[in-house]
Amino acid sequence: MLVTKPVTELCALLIDELYGELPSRIFATLLSKGKSTLPQLALHTSMTPRQLRHGLAVLQQHNLLFYHLDAGAEFASYEANAEHAYNLVRIGKILEMIDSSFGAPAKDVMQNLLLSGQTRISDLVAAYQEKIEQANMAAALMGENGEVGSEANGVNGDSRPAKKAGPFVKSTAHLNSIICRLVEAELIDVVHPKTFESPADILKVVEKEVMDKYFPAGVKGNKAKVELQQRIAEGLRKVRGESKSLKRKLEQNGSAAKRRKLLAGLSGMTNGVHDDDMDPSLDPKQVIRINYEKCLVELRNRRLVQFATDMFSETTAYVYGVLLKLLTKDLPRCRPDPVMDIAEDEEENEKKGPGFVTTEQILDNLKTSVDLSLGIGKAEKRHISSSAAENIRQYPPEKKPKIEEAEVDGEASEDEDEDDEPSGEESDHDTDYKAPMMNGINGVNGTSGAKVKFDESAGPKEQRMDRPTQLRQHLLLLAESTQRFVRHCGPNEWTVDFPPLMNALREVELDSVIERTSGRQGLRLVRILRAKGKLDEKALPNVALMRKSELQQKMLEMQTAGFVDVQEVPRDVKADVKKSFFLWFCDVDRTLDRLLDTSYKTMVHCIQVLEALRQKEKDVLETTKRTDVRGREKDTMRKEYYERYSRFLECERRLFAQVARVDDLVSVLRDF
Amino acid sequence: MAANGIADDSAKLQILKDALYDEIRQHGSETRLFGQQDLLDLNIIPRNDVTLLVRVIQALTDDKLLVGTTNHHAGLAWRWRSREEAKKYTSLPNDETVMVYSIIDEAGADGIWNRTIKNRLNMHEAVVKNCIKYLEQKGYIASMKNVEHPNKKMYIKATLRPSERATGGPWFTEGELDTAFISELESIVFEYIKTKSAYRGSQAQPGGAASSSGGAIKVPKKGAISSGEATPRGTKRAATDISTDDASPAPTLNTSRGGNAKSRAVFLPMPAGYNQYPTVAEIAKFIHDTGITNNTTLGEADIQQLVDVLTYDGLIEPVRVGRRRGYRVTRAMKQDTVPFHKRQKEREAGIGLDQPLVVGAEPLSNGLTEAPCGRCPVFELCEEGGPVSPSNCVYFLQWLDLEDVPAAVAPNVALPP
Ligand code: SF4
Repeated sequence: MLVTKPVTELCALLIDELYGELPSRIFATLLSKGKSTLPQLALHTSMTPRQLRHGLAVLQQHNLLFYHLDAGAEFASYEANAEHAYNLVRIGKILEMIDSSFGAPAKDVMQNLLLSGQTRISDLVAAYQEKIEQANMAAALMGENGEVGSEANGVNGDSRPAKKAGPFVKSTAHLNSIICRLVEAELIDVVHPKTFESPADILKVVEKEVMDKYFPAGVKGNKAKVELQQRIAEGLRKVRGESKSLKRKLEQNGSAAKRRKLLAGLSGMTNGVHDDDMDPSLDPKQVIRINYEKCLVELRNRRLVQFATDMFSETTAYVYGVLLKLLTKDLPRCRPDPVMDIAEDEEENEKKGPGFVTTEQILDNLKTSVDLSLGIGKAEKRHISSSAAENIRQYPPEKKPKIEEAEVDGEASEDEDEDDEPSGEESDHDTDYKAPMMNGINGVNGTSGAKVKFDESAGPKEQRMDRPTQLRQHLLLLAESTQRFVRHCGPNEWTVDFPPLMNALREVELDSVIERTSGRQGLRLVRILRAKGKLDEKALPNVALMRKSELQQKMLEMQTAGFVDVQEVPRDVKADVKKSFFLWFCDVDRTLDRLLDTSYKTMVHCIQVLEALRQKEKDVLETTKRTDVRGREKDTMRKEYYERYSRFLECERRLFAQVARVDDLVSVLRDF
Repeated sequence: MAANGIADDSAKLQILKDALYDEIRQHGSETRLFGQQDLLDLNIIPRNDVTLLVRVIQALTDDKLLVGTTNHHAGLAWRWRSREEAKKYTSLPNDETVMVYSIIDEAGADGIWNRTIKNRLNMHEAVVKNCIKYLEQKGYIASMKNVEHPNKKMYIKATLRPSERATGGPWFTEGELDTAFISELESIVFEYIKTKSAYRGSQAQPGGAASSSGGAIKVPKKGAISSGEATPRGTKRAATDISTDDASPAPTLNTSRGGNAKSRAVFLPMPAGYNQYPTVAEIAKFIHDTGITNNTTLGEADIQQLVDVLTYDGLIEPVRVGRRRGYRVTRAMKQDTVPFHKRQKEREAGIGLDQPLVVGAEPLSNGLTEAPCGRCPVFELCEEGGPVSPSNCVYFLQWLDLEDVPAAVAPNVALPP
């Protein structure tokens, strides 16, 4: 993550929003000044050491700092963890995700963990114990009648009285089981000493260790260099693995498999189903925290499901969601780490990538209530080329297949492309749409199962397809899409190539921004340039079927917006502007970078607008802070004031929602 | 004898002229160039007599029946001209007019600019003007428009139709890109592809699920998150309140089985492997059959151009199944099931005027396009402390419906006494 000025601003605002001004100021200073020690910080912020320590402690608690203490050094140096600070904006999303995948009690636990930062398990248990007892007592006292006065606190008029179904977490055993499940899903991991070291520091330490241990005489030759890289990667992976220690422990436990199975079910687990006592009790001294990396994987899944909904039906998207859930169960992060995970390739090639999911696995996890016949049109059987539909792509795009015959097959279909291509121009639309050569692949790889299977299940006699066939229809549709949602990587085996898919999604996001700002014709022009590369201004009107004057105006408009660029090529040495060629082109990566920057700024603006509103409604907000008003705003406040107050709440809600919406875009552009 | 000889000679010349001219016409079109050897090889001139040939050619050229040109490879060469045309030439009153006419003639179907005529012939403007006027009156030439140079006054031989390059092809009318015609045709082509590439079915309307209404912009709604008691600071929001409308992967339940569910018409994507997506040839045939383009002929290449534009617009996408390259509509489910021409009719009747009428589904949106900053004209300048800043932003006030917020209402205390 590149920490630019708007990012710094945003992080500071977020921390201010959540933890107050003091930590925010320290954080902003750390970001702008880089690694600093306590005395240096005191110098930059002109705060007292006491204030600083307090602020640093808060930041530390919420994992927003790295610190490093060199042996023998007097002061530890602190560094801002901008990544985590940015993640604060996602908290709402993460909680919602936990809610829908793990149920309300899990969300409640997660929320506590978010509010208190990293927490010792025993502390969490103690906090809950108190809550549970209180709730039990209250329940006993009140019985059925009456409602607890809604405990709207402070500005938050929206706090939902948490009493409807009793406390979310019913017992400490229940709490224990929730934590176990979240740990197994890797959404929670363990804090260990190295957690607080910045990646750069960890790298340095590991490097030193490796050098001391394996290369005391220095590194000589290419082979040794490669080995060094591998050893370092290994060391780094070991450090990373430490935070998963709890998960490993749980997995060693006998009942892990069973619990895992329950967990895998997408059906929001209801409290009763799970036998809490089966879970091993956790070491109360362990300190746990939220693992944002894995949370992002889950959020990415949801974004992709949304993407699929935009392109297809909700039913297809639902199937896709199940597939993704299964596929990414053991995927620790969205993007592999350039140092650690690339070296990993060499040794364990097999384990690389997300693997695949079979049709049966998906079928086993579909809700029985979902009608799979929805969402796809019907066509006569003779109008369906099953060989095209069932086309198996064993390898991700771009990667050369390793089996020679398969390569021949690929070439053959390329020839076909050229056959009836009127001109080479459009070929980029469907370069990824190779004519299928199903039989060839079958022959080569001996995986003839697919076709036979399809014919069996979609036999001519039946009108209504059976469920597995219906499921396959959705999967095949996803596989056929231009966005390549799914790759049919073997008979009844499905996988997802995330990098190209995310590129497609990024392009879709960019396109919608272009279309919304520059109109459909703007989008048309950009996509023409994307397809054809650089294009002379004189050639454009003919391709775009637009009037020259309109086109020029549109191009200038889009140049200002950063969607396209122009290059002037003089015709002769005199470089007469009138005679020059003007070549338009678009640099997608640059546009995306700019979009990211705009997104950060937009988020900053949203929060600043909110801050301005707070200033404006200061008197109202002051009033709501009074203890005699708090919780009874409606009854105690003057009507006009209450209206202003509720209007402010509405604005606040909309602004935060907008920040979260923009973050959706940032995630796609930067993290997924 | 001598006189007789001359008369004899000219008679002989006349015969040779006619014979050579007829023979040349047998050997190719008006554009073919004949070199000297070619003409000799026609075996009209006895004994391959070059001098005689030159005389015959000279005579033909004087009659404007042959046009001499200098060719790069063959040197001097000639092409023939029809007798009618030649007559036009010979009927012209003076040399200037002949020169002007011949230069327009040479320009062919592309036409020529009057300034170019003047410059090339090095004549006075008034003279050229007169010649042109004469020729136009005679109906020998006509003025024309060239799309590449819309402001230049161009002339063309009246018997020729302006070339494609000059008219700009079927998309131009009178030298102007006919955008109305194009968009009309686009909508027809799109409608055709839409109905041919997606399945018209019906879908149960899930009760109240907002996400099912096609293409509607999602209004961010608040996630149902309760804030615990542990709000860190009074006026600050709890961490959890930063929420999103991140659509939960709520599946479509099989409401269709339930009897009372309302259903609506939707387009559904075709199953994978569908091989009947319309091809350009089919679309061209359809357009031809409808007869919409009665006075313009559209070839497959023209339709391809139109289809490409629709592809660039993101409305359709090419699909190759087997050897067949067809086109299908994108985001089938989000398409309007009411045909476009019906919508146009509705509009004429005054329905739906509040929304722009465009083909295809509404574009997707994201956080940036929804927020005011995403379309803000002063975005680059906007900064806290600058002349435009979020705290004095009018766009956000509009967006939050706060435009008319009265500054502090009359009584200055929040609580009643
Ligand atoms: S003026 Fe308003 S809308 Fe424009 S960039 Fe600033 S905050 Fe955003």
